[in-house]
Amino acid sequence: MLVRLHIKKLNGYFIKRIFLFYAFFLSIAQLFAHGDLSIRIAEKTIEISENPNNFKLYFERGLLYQQHLEYSNALEDYRRSQSLGNTDKTLHYQIAEVHYLTEDYNASLKSIGSYLELGSIDVKAKKLEAQILFHLKSYKKSLDAYRYVINNMIDIRPEDVLEYSNIILAENNKNYKGAIAAIESGLDLLGPHTLSLQLKKLDYLKDSGQTKEALEQYNYFILEYNRKEFWYYKKAKYLAEIDKPHKAFISLKLAMVAIEQLDAKFRNMNPVIKLKEQIKSLESSLTTKNYD
Amino acid sequence: MIKKSTFLLVALCSVYSIAQTSQVDLPNVNAVAVTNPNDLAQNSPSVTVVRGPYLQSGTPTTVVVKWRTDIATQSVVNYGKISNSLSEKASNTALTTEHEVTLSGLSPNTKYYFNIGNKSEVLSESDSGDMYVITAPKAGSKQFVRAWILGDAGTANNNQRAVRDAYYDYVDAAPMNSGKTDMMLFLGDNAYGSGTDEQYQNALFDIYDDMLKKSVAWSCLGNHDGKSADSATQSGPYYDIFTFPTAAQAGGTASGTEAYYSFDYANIHFIILDSHHTSREVGGAMYNWTLTDIQNTKQDWIVTLFHHPVYTKGSHDSDTEDRLIEMRQNFMPMMEANGVDLILNGHSHSYERSYFLNGHYGFANTFNPDEISNGGHTVGTTGIGDGKADSDGAYQKTSLATEGAVYITTGSAGKISGGDLNHQAMSVSLNQLGSCVMEVEDDGKGGQNLTVKFIRETDGIEDYFTINKTAMDLKVDGMKKAPKSGRLSYDADKDLVQFNLEGKERLKKVKFYNNIGKLVKKSRKKTINVDKLPKGLYVIEVITNKKTYTDSIAIE
Repeated sequence: MLVRLHIKKLNGYFIKRIFLFYAFFLSIAQLFAHGDLSIRIAEKTIEISENPNNFKLYFERGLLYQQHLEYSNALEDYRRSQSLGNTDKTLHYQIAEVHYLTEDYNASLKSIGSYLELGSIDVKAKKLEAQILFHLKSYKKSLDAYRYVINNMIDIRPEDVLEYSNIILAENNKNYKGAIAAIESGLDLLGPHTLSLQLKKLDYLKDSGQTKEALEQYNYFILEYNRKEFWYYKKAKYLAEIDKPHKAFISLKLAMVAIEQLDAKFRNMNPVIKLKEQIKSLESSLTTKNYD
Repeated sequence: MIKKSTFLLVALCSVYSIAQTSQVDLPNVNAVAVTNPNDLAQNSPSVTVVRGPYLQSGTPTTVVVKWRTDIATQSVVNYGKISNSLSEKASNTALTTEHEVTLSGLSPNTKYYFNIGNKSEVLSESDSGDMYVITAPKAGSKQFVRAWILGDAGTANNNQRAVRDAYYDYVDAAPMNSGKTDMMLFLGDNAYGSGTDEQYQNALFDIYDDMLKKSVAWSCLGNHDGKSADSATQSGPYYDIFTFPTAAQAGGTASGTEAYYSFDYANIHFIILDSHHTSREVGGAMYNWTLTDIQNTKQDWIVTLFHHPVYTKGSHDSDTEDRLIEMRQNFMPMMEANGVDLILNGHSHSYERSYFLNGHYGFANTFNPDEISNGGHTVGTTGIGDGKADSDGAYQKTSLATEGAVYITTGSAGKISGGDLNHQAMSVSLNQLGSCVMEVEDDGKGGQNLTVKFIRETDGIEDYFTINKTAMDLKVDGMKKAPKSGRLSYDADKDLVQFNLEGKERLKKVKFYNNIGKLVKKSRKKTINVDKLPKGLYVIEVITNKKTYTDSIAIE
C-alpha cells in the first residue's frame, strides 16, 4: 500500500513536471516566435543550466539573443561571459555591436576601441568604429576610419561607397567634389554601371548645382537603360525645376513616345499609368507656347 | 533535477524539430573526393579534382566553370559541340586549387561538352557525355524552360537525397524535354548548420554533383549561409563558392554586388535578393536597384527569389518576424505593381503555395479572398481557385489585366519542421519533403504557361498550378516608325519627312530633337531630307503661322 502510494505520488510528480516543462516550452515558442532560433535559445539555456560557469555558452546564447533582436539579454550574456573569464576579443566586438544597435554610441566606441587594441585591425571593426563615430558626430575621425575600410576591403560593396561618401559630406557639407570622387572610385572598383552609385552621383550633381553634369547624368540613364520612360520624366521634372520649361516639354514628349513603344502589358501596369498622369500634370504646369 | 528536466525539454524539442534535422550518414569529404572515379580519366591523374566541376553565371555567350583540386595546378577547360571532339580551350596558367575559367564567345542556346584539367592532363571528364553546358537562349526568346527549385536543402542526409532522386526520376521520365534542367535555383540555407565550406561540400557538391556538371546553379543567401558568410565584406564560403553577375553580365541591371543581382534566361527575368544581411528599407540600395531593374526589363515573365518568406505559418511566422514582414511590406508593393509573376522563398521547412494574389501586405488574418475589384486580394475569376488547368482553371494574366502573382514558400528540400500551416493566403500548405520544378512553355494559342509542380520525396506530384499569359505575340521589339499624327509623313526609303499643312497654314520652322532631347536639326522647308540624322527616335516640333505642335518619328 505504501509502495503503491509512493508510485502514485511519483507518477503525479512526473506528470506535473512534464506538464510544467511542456507549458514552459510552449510559452518559449510563443514568446520568441522566431522558429528554430527560439528553439536554439531554449536549447542553449538548458546547456547553461547544466554548465552555469561556462563562459562560451553565455557568449553563444548572447549571439542568439542578438540575432533575435533581444539586445538587453544579449548584452547581459556577453557581460556574464566576460565576468566568467572570456577574454576573446570577439566578445568586445559583439558588445560594441549591441551597444551600437541600442544607440549607446559612447559605450560602443569604448568596446570597439578595446577590440581594436587587442589585435590586428580588421575592416569590419573599423567600419563599425566609423559608424559609431559618425553617430557621435566625430566626422573627421569617422572619415579616417572609413577611409581605412575603403582602402583595405577586398570585396567592397556599393553600400560601403555610399556610406563613405555620406560621411565625406557630413564632415564638410560643401565637399561634393570629394563625395563625387568617392563615387567615381567606387564605379571604377565595382563597374561603371553600378546602379546605386550612378543614382547617388546624380543626387550629388543636382544638390551641388552642377546642372550641366546632372543633365548629362540623366542622359546616361536614358541611353543606358532599355526602358526610358521613367528617366525622361525625371529629367523633365529636373528641367522644370531649373527653369527650362521648353526642354522639359520635349523630355515629356519623349517620355510619352517611350511609353507608346512599350508592350501593351507594360503600358497597362499601374506605375506606367501613374507616370502618364504625372507627365500630363507636369506638362500642364509648364509655361510654354501654344503646344497641342 | 536539472538533468531530468533537461531531458524532458530536449525530448519535447526533438518532437518539434530536431528529429527532422538529424544528420544521417554524412559522407566524409575526403573519402568522397577520391572515391568518385566515374568521371575521371582512365589513367589516374596526379592531381585530383575534389569539387566540381560546376557551372556559374550562364549567359547566351559565356559560362563560368569552377572546380577544386587537391594540389595547386593550372586551369584548363577543353570544350566543343561534339562530345569526342573538344577542340576549343580556355585556360589560366596561374597555379591554384580553386579553379575558375570563363568560356566566352559561345553561341546562344547551344550545347557544349567539356572536360577539365591542367596543362598536362585531363582531370575530369564524362564518357557518357553528361558533362556539358547548354548556353542560355537570347533574352526574349520564347521556348521551353525548366528550372529546379531547392529551398533549405542543405541537410546532407537521406531526406535531401530522396528529394533529389525524386526530381531526377521526374525529369528523366518527363514526356517533353526529358533530362533537361536549364538551371538550379537555390533558395538559401544550402548547407546546414553554418554554410561552412565542408558543409557545402557535404550538402551541395556531394549531393548534386551530377546536376551541377550540366546545369547552371543560382542562389540567394539564407540565414544559415549567412552565419559563415559576411555580406558586409562579401567574404566567406557562400561568396567564395558562387560566382554571380554583378555588372549585368547576364542581363538586367548592374548591382555591383553578388548579394543581389538579376539575370535573363529566354523570356524570363530573374531577380535575386538578399533578405538576410542587406538593408530591406524602402529607398535603400537594394530597393532602388530592384525598382530600377524591374522597371527596366521587357521580359515576358518576372520571377524573384529570396530566402525569407513573404507568407508563411510553417516553422517561421510571417506575422511576427521582422525580415519577413519587411520584405512583404517594403518590396512586394513595388514588385507586384511592376509585374512580378512568381515569388520563391524558403526558410520555413514546409511547402506553402498561395492563391493568385495582389495587394496583401498585412497579417494573415487580414487576407481577403475576394477579387481585387471587390476590395479583396485575389486576381481574376480563377484567382481564389487551385490554379490547376484541369480543375478550377489556370491563373490568368493578360495585357490588360497585369496583376497577379503566386507566392511559394518551399523550404522542405532537406527537412520538414511543421508549424500551424494555416496562412489564409495559401491555397496549399503541406508539411512534406520535396522540391519544385518550374516549367515555361507555349500554350498553343500564342501565349505561354508557367507551371510549377511540387515533387515529393516519394516521387508523387503533390501540388501544381499554372499561370497563363495570353497574347504574348504582341511584343514590340522595334520602334514604331510611323508618325502619330497625319500631319507629317516619313518615307524611310528616300529619307524624307514631309509636312502636310492645312489650308492657309504656313510653315515657319521645324525642329528635330534626338533621343536625349537635343536639338539636332532645324528647317523651314515642307520636305526635309533626314539622311544625315543617325538612327533613332526623334521628337519633331512644328511651328506654323497658326500653331505649334509636336510629333515623333523613328528614323531607320
